[in-house]
Amino acid sequence: MQYRILIIDDEDDIREVAALSLETVAGWEVMVANSGAQGLARASVYKPDAILLDVMMPGMDGPTTFRELQKNPETAHIPVLLLTAKVQASDKIRFADLDVKAVLVKPFDPMTLSTQIAGVLGWD
Amino acid sequence: MDQDKQASMAEVMNRLWVQFLPLMEERVAILEAVAAALAEGTLTTDRRVEACGEAHKLAGVLGTFGLSEGTLLAREAEMGLSGEPESGPSAIRLAEIGAQLRTMLADRKP
Repeated sequence: MQYRILIIDDEDDIREVAALSLETVAGWEVMVANSGAQGLARASVYKPDAILLDVMMPGMDGPTTFRELQKNPETAHIPVLLLTAKVQASDKIRFADLDVKAVLVKPFDPMTLSTQIAGVLGWD
Repeated sequence: MDQDKQASMAEVMNRLWVQFLPLMEERVAILEAVAAALAEGTLTTDRRVEACGEAHKLAGVLGTFGLSEGTLLAREAEMGLSGEPESGPSAIRLAEIGAQLRTMLADRKP
């Protein structure tokens, strides 16, 4: 099945690697946004099957973006996976308070990113 | 994963490496400049915060391109720069990290 994924990340390199990884390896349809605000708008319009959301972004960060997604009835049901290079214990505690599906750690393996996501979401 | 997809992905990664190498070199240059400023005693808080952010970005991306050791070095720089200035990395260590990262970037062939 061709899933639709929205990647929200302000870092051009990570966004491109993740997008091309999911397109090339899994054949999924990928949309991208380079900020939390753009991500909210695109999620509302495109209604992706899942969202890969960076934690540290200028302006609206990942947790704030996630809370805004949850407030909107059009996007509240979309599963969100956080993507972060933060691996300190205090960060893990902070993320545990959020009702996200998973926290994926950067750097990720572009060859297996789609498998990780599919595994978390129970996709074929 | 089948071999065709693996080959396609390897090709994609090589293309992205070439595309984003200048950006990664720029980030390393910022770490090197901060190491120099630290040695001279002229490092400002703004510059320190900026360098911490650049180290964070390097830590997140280098391993994705197969440079796991680069991620560890960048993370060491990030952790050091994110704390109190007194407990941060020495100028010498930061310069070493910058030099090692620069060598890794130069040595990784597409």
